[in-house]
Amino acid sequence: MNAKLTTVAPQSSAPSFYEAAQKIYPREVRGRFATKRRWTVVVLLGLFYGVAWISWNGQQLLLFDLPARKFHVFGLTLWPQDFVYLALLLIIAALSLFFVTALAGRVFCGYACPQTVWTEVFLWIEHWTEGTRSQRQKLDQRAWNLEKVLRKSSKQLLWLSLAFYTGFTFVGYFMPIRSIGAGLVQLSLGPWAVFWILLYSLATYGNAGYLREQVCKYMCPYARFQSAMFDKDTLVISYDELRGEPRGARRRGAPPAKNQGDCIDCTLCVQVCPTGIDIRKGLQYECIACAACIDACDDVMDKVGSARGLIRYTTEHAMSGNRTRVARPRLFVYGALLSFATGIIAYSLLTRTPLILDVIRDRNALYREVRGDWVENAYSIKVINEDEKAHHYRLQAAGIAQLELVTPAGLIDVPPGSVANVPVRLQAPAASAQGVHPITLRITAQDAPSIVRTEKTRFIGPQ
Amino acid sequence: MATPSPEGHSSVQRFLMDVGLVSWSSFLAACVASILFFAAVDPQLLRDAGPRIFDNLSREAGYALGFFFFWMLAASAAGLSVYMVRSAEWHDGHPDTERDSD
Repeated sequence: MNAKLTTVAPQSSAPSFYEAAQKIYPREVRGRFATKRRWTVVVLLGLFYGVAWISWNGQQLLLFDLPARKFHVFGLTLWPQDFVYLALLLIIAALSLFFVTALAGRVFCGYACPQTVWTEVFLWIEHWTEGTRSQRQKLDQRAWNLEKVLRKSSKQLLWLSLAFYTGFTFVGYFMPIRSIGAGLVQLSLGPWAVFWILLYSLATYGNAGYLREQVCKYMCPYARFQSAMFDKDTLVISYDELRGEPRGARRRGAPPAKNQGDCIDCTLCVQVCPTGIDIRKGLQYECIACAACIDACDDVMDKVGSARGLIRYTTEHAMSGNRTRVARPRLFVYGALLSFATGIIAYSLLTRTPLILDVIRDRNALYREVRGDWVENAYSIKVINEDEKAHHYRLQAAGIAQLELVTPAGLIDVPPGSVANVPVRLQAPAASAQGVHPITLRITAQDAPSIVRTEKTRFIGPQ
Repeated sequence: MATPSPEGHSSVQRFLMDVGLVSWSSFLAACVASILFFAAVDPQLLRDAGPRIFDNLSREAGYALGFFFFWMLAASAAGLSVYMVRSAEWHDGHPDTERDSD
């Protein structure tokens, strides 16, 4: 943490896995892409902090309620039995990432990754409290005085508050946020809620405040395998070496000398880079494609009177003078897989029956003789009403001649999003029920005949 | 035993980095394992089937215990892998003999 800016990172000729971490002071940048990034951050964080508080029909809109083992996703209630939807959603998310990566490179890293988003906000706070890049560097090198204490402690206060609120909101997606909010105010929160809130606060504080680009460089698996999705038509941020080299300083407004390229070697592209790389050395895995260097370089090119785009979004094919092909097999494959998975989830959600029936045979007795020459089997059934409203269900049994349903005698009432455990007794004449018979139990909602489930079980009679 | 690595780290620094790497990769694995496991299994059912000492545990405690169990399990595997790699380097004479001169 106390690495001095003046020291140069030890250069090892072998590619090293663990480099000595240098504190990076990203220079603030203005421009087209910085504005886009700022808006993305505002929108994404607005969604994150806002959606947790939105209720719909008296139910939190997005809540993966772990204590209750129920997921509420935009008005839909999912149960552990519906895990396949969650798995499909994760697959869709992964495929979308592949698709976007093949098409536009690491736009996710530069604009939407939580690590980038929170680091950006923490950098804003750092900027407000400690000033610009050079002011921050000076402040770090200066001896402790009142101003340094004030600046550093106000930064820490803002960081910690934001980190805590982030941890709280995050946990609010897994336990009802209004109840943990009330528990927090009344200091009556359960130990596990407190533990997870503190853990995620600490993770936010450490990742966005201190680890920053090191998360991308050393911890992120995606940064390592994203190159597998890349090809020569993928959009990357690149320095135009043909145009820029040989680099060198020149007077403002003066055209480059005969043997000089457009790059004036101002190193602003390096200073603004949040991961501290030099884009002029070519595409590197540390590059998170945030386009800060494009903004910085465009600004400089405007000032020296050269055309913009010395560093720009381009493709390897375009750079080498070839045509960029957007429509290519890789994209079709990712696109087809993506549409297929989306189609499956849409179809199954649309045709989903919001009712689950579980049947368990009574294990205590095989059968019981009743009414002289009749036999009775006992079961317990679990009726899960996954719908948003209450239903009355009728149970029917079939599979043996004269099979009778003794209990339940009436309808089964189940409130919305609830489970009813119901004992069931079936009776059949001993003459028609000898041995083991497969039977079916069928349950139908009285007010909605399309909500129906059938389960198989067995009826056992004397041999 | 302050043997510096090729990147100029002492063995203590390098050990701490290994600890960071092991805990991070096993954290990711434990997340996946917990999601898959608890999607299928309710911790309260496990509690009812388990020994008496678990009787007073809440569902939240069950999730947390399960998560840490998976984390420790994955960390021991990852830690062992790193230990095997490092101790092989040691026997090969690395890093001392293969150090870069610059």
